[in-house]
Amino acid sequence: MSLLDAVKRANRPGPPENSAPLRLACAGAVVTGIAACRAEGELSWAVALSSMVLVTVGMYFSYRTRARPIGWLKPLLALAAVAAFLWFFRQLTGQELYDVSTVEDPLAVLFVWIQVAHAFDVPARRDLAFSLAGSASLMAVAAAQAVDLGFGLYAVVWIGFGLWGLVRMWGSASDGGRIGGRGIVATVAAVLVLAVAVLTVLPAPQVAGRIDFPANSAGGAGLPGAGGLTGDAGRATEPARAGSSSGPTRVGGFLGFATHLDTALRGSLGNTVVMRVRAQRPSYWIGETFDTWDGESWKVPPKSSPIALYSGSPFPVPPAVDSPQVNDPPAGQSDLQTFYMAQSSPNLIFHADNAAEVWFPARNIYISGNDTIVSPIALGPGAIYTVRSVVDTPTAAQLEAVTGSPASTETPGQAKALRRDLQLPHPYGRVQALAERITATDKTTDAKVQALIAWIGAHTHYSTDIPPLPPGADTVDEFLFGNRTGFCEQISTAMAVMLRSIGIPAREAVGYVPGSYNPITDLYEVQGKDAHAWVQVWFPHYGWQSFDPTAVVPLANPSPGLTLVHDAAHALRQLPLVPLGVALAVAVVTALVIRRRRRRPATWAIAVARRMERAGGRAGRRRRPGETITEYASALDAMGGDTSGTWSALAWLVEASAYGQQEPSDEERRRAERISRTIRPDRRRAGDPRAPDLVGAATVTPAAVPAPRRGSPGPPPGDAGPSAGGDG
Amino acid sequence: MRSRSRTFVRPVRPLVPLASSLLVVLGWGVVAHNSGAGWVQALGDVVAGTLLLGMIGAAFVLVRTRLRVTSVPTDATAGQPCAIGVQSTSRVRLAPVHPPGPVCFVGPSGTPRPAVVPGTAPGDALTLLPRRRGVASSITVDVASAAPFGLMWWTRRLRLDLPSDLHIGPKMGPPVVLPRQEDDRSGDSAHRSPRDIGEPRGVRPYRPGDSRRWVHWPATAHSGELMVREMEGPTAEPVVVVVTLPPDEEAAESVAERAFGTLVALIDRGTSVFLTTTEAAGRRTDAVADRRSAGRRLARAVTPGGPGSARRTDHGIGAVAPAEPVAAPGILVTMADLRRSHHRVEGP
Repeated sequence: MSLLDAVKRANRPGPPENSAPLRLACAGAVVTGIAACRAEGELSWAVALSSMVLVTVGMYFSYRTRARPIGWLKPLLALAAVAAFLWFFRQLTGQELYDVSTVEDPLAVLFVWIQVAHAFDVPARRDLAFSLAGSASLMAVAAAQAVDLGFGLYAVVWIGFGLWGLVRMWGSASDGGRIGGRGIVATVAAVLVLAVAVLTVLPAPQVAGRIDFPANSAGGAGLPGAGGLTGDAGRATEPARAGSSSGPTRVGGFLGFATHLDTALRGSLGNTVVMRVRAQRPSYWIGETFDTWDGESWKVPPKSSPIALYSGSPFPVPPAVDSPQVNDPPAGQSDLQTFYMAQSSPNLIFHADNAAEVWFPARNIYISGNDTIVSPIALGPGAIYTVRSVVDTPTAAQLEAVTGSPASTETPGQAKALRRDLQLPHPYGRVQALAERITATDKTTDAKVQALIAWIGAHTHYSTDIPPLPPGADTVDEFLFGNRTGFCEQISTAMAVMLRSIGIPAREAVGYVPGSYNPITDLYEVQGKDAHAWVQVWFPHYGWQSFDPTAVVPLANPSPGLTLVHDAAHALRQLPLVPLGVALAVAVVTALVIRRRRRRPATWAIAVARRMERAGGRAGRRRRPGETITEYASALDAMGGDTSGTWSALAWLVEASAYGQQEPSDEERRRAERISRTIRPDRRRAGDPRAPDLVGAATVTPAAVPAPRRGSPGPPPGDAGPSAGGDG
Repeated sequence: MRSRSRTFVRPVRPLVPLASSLLVVLGWGVVAHNSGAGWVQALGDVVAGTLLLGMIGAAFVLVRTRLRVTSVPTDATAGQPCAIGVQSTSRVRLAPVHPPGPVCFVGPSGTPRPAVVPGTAPGDALTLLPRRRGVASSITVDVASAAPFGLMWWTRRLRLDLPSDLHIGPKMGPPVVLPRQEDDRSGDSAHRSPRDIGEPRGVRPYRPGDSRRWVHWPATAHSGELMVREMEGPTAEPVVVVVTLPPDEEAAESVAERAFGTLVALIDRGTSVFLTTTEAAGRRTDAVADRRSAGRRLARAVTPGGPGSARRTDHGIGAVAPAEPVAAPGILVTMADLRRSHHRVEGP
């Protein structure tokens, strides 16, 4: 067959599909895909509703005209598809690609209109299969924007329609075949098992494309005050202010995203999901840094003027350090993070260490003097932005090699800036002495930092339930020489002050820990309780490096499969394994016993008959349907060449027991069972040249067969009669 | 009898389904890779699992499928459809290979099917179109399935044992030219309907040798002499038809067809026929009284030859034919009285 013939054959219309359930399933899958796109905001209500109606009408129209498709309809639908493509490209041209809706939304609309056009011309099963595949493309487009588990409802419904359609497709292909309830359950279970297996094996998806990174303003209003902080109390446009014990609850309960971080205040961190983050690796999401310490609060520099960046998205973030190692990081080591705001958030652009580029839906952003990135618009629920950070974490060996004070290695401008990070409100004599004693044997900055972290870990306790700071008291003195109990703010502040006291620049950083990883959505779900404070230490040539004295376990890059396994194992460990194991063992044993009892032959006669059938089957002569046991035994006798009729005698006993109500005696029964277990017909008589001679009781004589009892009719003539010991 | 497997399962035209599935998975992977969205990967895993199950599920279904022939007629004719009842534990497509036949679907379906043979277990019907005569104790079929999603077909070849042998008689061929009959009974028609043979015809005087049970007492009392009932007898002398099949299968089929036509013609005109053929157990001469027995005898006929040349009409092992002098292939029609003329028809 030539290629042209093959193409013609492939495009030949198939026979009309008469299965209405199959069409229903396909229509349901397409409508679900449209609904999912609408739920993710990629379609307007008008487009979604009208397309749902048109798909339903089109499927019905195709069903009614399936036997005689309308000839002029196909070219008309092709024209409609072309028009949709033209509209799509028109939407893309001349647009600034800084907003996610620029590309994804027109793409969703294009797919929807293709499905609508296709729905009017699906006469055959193959066309319906294309509809199913088209619904998969709609779900893929919607899933690309889904960030929470609520999308699971659409996924489950779509999977249900899809599997139903596929099963009906088999029913149609098999001329009315059906899969029973157990088969359906087994099919669904098999699909889920395979899906989990694939999920476990595949690594987490990582964004690789650079066409367009997600960014969405979600309608955030512009903010007054260039670079000022707002929204820390939940109202996106309200200026941020220092927390107070009687002030309103902050976003998520954390009081730190403002111009002050008062370590004397105790927040109430909750489980509200503040934002969701898609990242290539878990990191601490830095919101803000403080470098001015007054003994109780951290503050931003009083006269800091943020730098406005007007370059447009993506905004290049100037490096914090003018250093070759930081300005020219090794290629290919970027870390992309996309932040999906779930609550009204302070106008801080959270990011991992060393932010290099920001895709933000605004004309400009601000960079403050302490490297905080500030948004010019309010960030409400639905706001999205993407940050690229440079992964240039120096190794321990590299940090160990750093010696000397910053002043001797940095530029004058940097040295002046770093003096703020050595600032202390008053001499901390005891703190300095303690820090010098701890780091007496350490020569390098990194060694000193590690020594202080180890000491804090060994000599302090973490607790969020600590008494309030006495008025006028110093937080660090109270923590180090008082109760030695505190949470992240006290711990990190103490470490920062100790470092400053021995001449190492350090500052306070506040933000969020990565949050819990969701293996389904591949997002880190950051809750209010994930708010955190840690320390940043200055290293010459390497810039600010984050250290968290509160946490001692390093973060691992999760994979969805391993996370699922880990969560499952954790859930299993919560179960009472011993009682469950005992119950499971009892259930298995009971099931085996019941199964064995069901399979056990009901009577002795059936057991012997089955042994005869097994022996005959092994010899190549199976018992035919409708063949009586006597006829079968005669055939086995003929195979064996043994005219004494041992098999026939056994068959006579079986029939007498089964139909003649003549139960043999126990002795007769035992002998008959022994014979039926050992005797074998001759395979050679069955035509098998490989067959050995008679095995087992090859010398069975009629006398070995139990004789019939008095009054019984005896075995049929020609069979092994009770020549010895009988009454006949 | 249940099925006995001969071959492993194998896919049918797997290129298109595999390529399509691969394209879908790759496309989904591209979307997942570029978007980095977890839901895309999660849904993609379900799609991949579904496609994987669609590709290989049918193989497992085929391995677990059990087929059983529930009913089979005792006789069939070459070239004529013959329906046998088949039961299957799952819905499969059957394509008879030996004997050949049209493709059909058997197994659980949404609509109940009546029994192929009334009074037997309900099942599906498999139609066979045997091309040649013979005795079939088993059939060979290609079993195919694409369960559960109809994405890719898998097939395997099975041999199904029949509960009883199926005798496939030859087609009706043109009879050989039969010798003219001589009948000295005046007034009698030279042609008797076979069904009249054995029916009372009249009374006649007793002749020595007649059975005492044939005495017709009313006629005897009326006539005064012993009278007996006279039955319709064959109008012609018994005929022996010797069929010797040539080694070539097509030629043997042709000879068998002509022999069948000849036998039917002889039986239809009331002739008592004896048929001599060579069967697996050896040469056999026996009377044939109707078409059915004629068809069965010809179905069992084999080409005569030396030891081990037993004709195998199925894949079973038959007995070795005893050594006999090989006659020339053809049909020999011989009257019982050798002095009469006989007619011999050479095989093709």
